[in-house]
This record gives sequence, structure tokens and C-alpha cells, in this order.
Amino acid sequence: MSYNMQRKLIIVSFLLIPIVLLLMLLVYPTLKLLQMSFTDWDGLTSGFQYIGFDNYKELLQSEEVWVSLKNNATYFIIHLAFIPLEIVVASVLVSKLRAAKFYKVIVFMPYIINGVAVAYMFAFFFSPDGSMNQVLHLFGLDRLSQSWLSDTHVVNFTLVFISLWKYSGLHIILFIAAMQSIPADYYEAATIDGASRFQQLRHITVPGIKTVIELILFLNVRGALQVFDIPFLVTNGGPGYDSSTFMVYTIKTAFQYNHFGLAAAMAVTLMILIGIVSFVQSKLITIKG
Amino acid sequence: MSNLQTAMTRRFRRQLPLALAKHGLLIAITLIVLVPLATLLFAAFKTTPEITSGKPLALPSSFYLDNLISSFHKANVLLAVKNTSIIGAVSVFANMIIGSMLAYIIARFEFRFKRIVLALFVFGIIVPFYTTEIARFGLIKDLGIYNSLLAPILIYTGADMVQIFIYKQFMDKIPVELDEAAMMEGASYFTIYWKIIFPLVLPASATLAIIKFVDIANDMYIPYLYIPSEQFRTLSTALMLFYGDRTLNWAGMSAGIIWIMLPTLVVYFILQRYIFAGLVAGAVKE
Repeated sequence: MSYNMQRKLIIVSFLLIPIVLLLMLLVYPTLKLLQMSFTDWDGLTSGFQYIGFDNYKELLQSEEVWVSLKNNATYFIIHLAFIPLEIVVASVLVSKLRAAKFYKVIVFMPYIINGVAVAYMFAFFFSPDGSMNQVLHLFGLDRLSQSWLSDTHVVNFTLVFISLWKYSGLHIILFIAAMQSIPADYYEAATIDGASRFQQLRHITVPGIKTVIELILFLNVRGALQVFDIPFLVTNGGPGYDSSTFMVYTIKTAFQYNHFGLAAAMAVTLMILIGIVSFVQSKLITIKG
Repeated sequence: MSNLQTAMTRRFRRQLPLALAKHGLLIAITLIVLVPLATLLFAAFKTTPEITSGKPLALPSSFYLDNLISSFHKANVLLAVKNTSIIGAVSVFANMIIGSMLAYIIARFEFRFKRIVLALFVFGIIVPFYTTEIARFGLIKDLGIYNSLLAPILIYTGADMVQIFIYKQFMDKIPVELDEAAMMEGASYFTIYWKIIFPLVLPASATLAIIKFVDIANDMYIPYLYIPSEQFRTLSTALMLFYGDRTLNWAGMSAGIIWIMLPTLVVYFILQRYIFAGLVAGAVKE
């Protein structure tokens, strides 16, 4: 067979399966979602009516949606605020340090552990019989004791803590990986010029890992707006809707209340939100070299 | 004392506070990571009266194994490990094959519609994965694979293509002269992919595969939605079934959680060297 024939054959045959899978599993559902968002489909019967923008109007007026979104915002802001600390920890771990390898294994461990196991472990840890209040007691901080998972003002922060516990290690490891690709002579030159450690961090490390920081900022938007496992498993969004998130409420709307049309509108809104927030963030946070 | 020694002592004194601060920070993090895990482990060895006695941080008074033994059977850990391994291994393998095939075409050939193909896969990365489930659910039912292991395998294989961009980076580093030399010998494009390109990206993709496997083993949402039947329980859904049993106390529950944590942790400790190496390779692509 000539190479020209072969070339056509291999391009078509190697692209066929992945493209069919992608069209089927991602493109089609996304278009379908868009279509369903303009209907009153209940997910069970085959019939539905087009109702225009009614679902979008309903979700804008729904109090539960706004409470959930506010909770997503808390995840977003707190995770964002921890990124500088994660960079500092990563920079400590790449510096020559005794037991650095041990610390790396520990730091990344929470990300490896099964997410359901983590959620239930913390449901126990923060339960009235659990250890959190006992830990506070050890440090003489009894007055900080809380009903971590049932107090309406506390519960969402408890869940954000669990999320930090699970995902900060991933960020730190990715920062470490990026820092290892910065040439060592940059730091040597800076030291000779008398730059302080903080100046080196600010002017060599941070610009050197710019792309990974941008990646994590984007993943943070996507992750914070899509939080699902932790609230779903630990509190199921409760008490009431106090620890609900946009995703938890969307899934409940679809599979519990059988209101697929509204849920589809919420899903489309979520995609748009992720786009807008990432765009605004990338304009607001710029990393200078 | 010689001058050199004084200089070294001075240097040591200057660096001591910094070193203490570094270790202080890392020890604090280590405690935050380990304390919840330790109390869980203690609870697994405790009797119910011991757990409700209000001393969760105390060591168990005896080496009580009943919780661990009964929860191992009740959560059906072995079945969960089996299902998770099948889903993980098949998806990771299939994903690796089609991912590297796709990357080979993108890295080595120019053709019409290439930009469209690329745009399609970038779109696939941007679409948030949970939301599409609402529409994908009907599709999986129509395909007749609802409540079978094929459903999660298909989704994990075909709906996550992030790694093709990493494969492409690896392939770009393989000199094209290698392909040309093989063509002189009369090798077909398929032979070039299978005998030259694939074996060369294999070590790098091994680390990607480990991470993807861990992600699949830890996912609860896909198995919860598509394979609800008890015979298809995975590590995640086995624990959810176990938790749903309201007759359960925290002593038994802690033991169940320990069992579900164990498989991925064991894999992690055995393979952590490769995982870290893979992350470094992944970052170089940036």
C-alpha cells in the first residue's frame, strides 16, 4: 500500500473511535442539556413542552439557588486565599530540607485517599462524639467548640475545611513539580546580588511557575463551582439548605424532584458561570515577572 | 576556634530560626493530615462504650478486632476491590490506547479539519463533568448499558481526554528521523506507532495511568448514578451502602472506612516514586 493511501487510512481509523466517543459522551449531552433547559421535561415521561426561558427565570428567583451559590463562593474565596500559603509550603519542600520526602508523601496523601472515606471520616471527626472538640480541649480552647455540622453559621466552613484538607496537597505537589523546572542558577545569581529569600520567592519562583498558578486558579474556579461529593456525603446540603452547593441542588432537582428541565437550565448556567468567573479572574489576577 | 569554624557557627545561628520555622510549618501540616486519620484508626479498634465515653483521642484500651472483621464482610470489601480494579484497569488501558493513537495523529500528521479536531478536544476539557450527567443519563439507558460495568468504563475511557495533550508533548520530543528511518525499511504507519512511538511513550504514560486509576478508584458519582446494583459496588459505593445502614455505630463505621481507604493507600505507598516522577513530567509540558 502506498504511504499516501496508508496516511489517509491511519488518520481516519485512529481518529474514529475517540471522536465518536467524544461526540457521543460530551458534545451530544451538552447540546441536549441546552435543549432540555427550555422544556418542562420531568425525566420520566417521554413528552415535554417548550416553555422558553421559564426555567432560567425560576432559577434566578429560587432562594435555594442563591444560598447554594453563596456557599460555592465561600469555597472559592477560601481556597483562593490559601494559594499563597500553598506556594510557600511548596517552596519550603523544594529547598534542601531534612525529611522533605517524608513531608511530600504526607502532604499528598489526602488527595489519594478515597473521597467517600474522607467525607465519612470527617462526619465522624466533627460529630458530637468526635475528636475536633477534644482537640480544642487539649489546647485549652473549649470556648471554640461548636456543633460543627449542625450549626447553620458554621457548617459550610466545616465543609470548606474538609475540601482544603483533601485538595491543598494536590496544589502543593503541582507547585513543587513546576518549581523543580526553574534552573538553580537563577537563585544562585540572585543570592550573589543580595536578594532576600522573600524577594527570590516573589521575583523568581512565582513568575517561574506562572502557568501552573494559572492552571490552579482555573481548576479552583471549576472545582469551587462544582463542589459536590463533600456536601452531598457529609450533610446532604443540610441543615435545610445551609451547606447546599449549586451542584448538590442541581442533582437534587433532577433526580430527587424529577425536574429535569430546571436542572438542565442550572447545568447550562453553571457552565456559563465557570466561563465568566475564570475570565474575570484572569483579568484581575496577573502575575508579573 | 579557627576562622572557618566561627564563620560556620555564625551561619548556622543565622539559619537556625528559618529552619525551625520551616519544620514548625511542616510539622503542623503533618498533624492536621494525621490527627483525623489517627482518631479514625483508634475508633476502629474501640468498643462502642469506649467511643461514646468522650475521649476520642485516647488510644484503644485493648486490641479489639471485631469491628474490623465484621465490617470487612459487611461492606464486602473484596467484591468492591474486584469491581474497582476491573473498571479502573480496563478504562485506564483503553484510554491509554485511544489517547496515544489520537496524540500520534495530531503530533505526526497534517490534515484538513485538524483544527476542528483539536477544538473539539479542548471543548471536552472545558465542559464540567458532573453537569453533563443529567443529559448523559438518558443516553446510557438508551445504549442498554445502564447498571453494567460497561457504563462507567465507557465514560472514564471516552469522556476524559486531558492526557492527549501530555502524550503529544512526549511525542514531540521523539525525533521524526526515527519514523523516517523506519519508513526507509518499509514499515507501515501502524508499525511505526505500535513498534516505535507507543513503547517510547509508555514509561511516561505509566505515571499518568497511575493517577487516572486513583481518580477512578476515588470517584463516587459515576458508579453511584450508573451502577446502583449491589453486585457492582465499587470502593466508593460499598462505603455509601455501608453508611446507609442505620443500625450502624461509629465503631463499625470507622472500621469500614479504614478498609475502603486501605487499597488506594497501599497502591500509593508502593508507587509514590512513580507518581511524583509523573507529576514532574506533567509539569514540564507547561
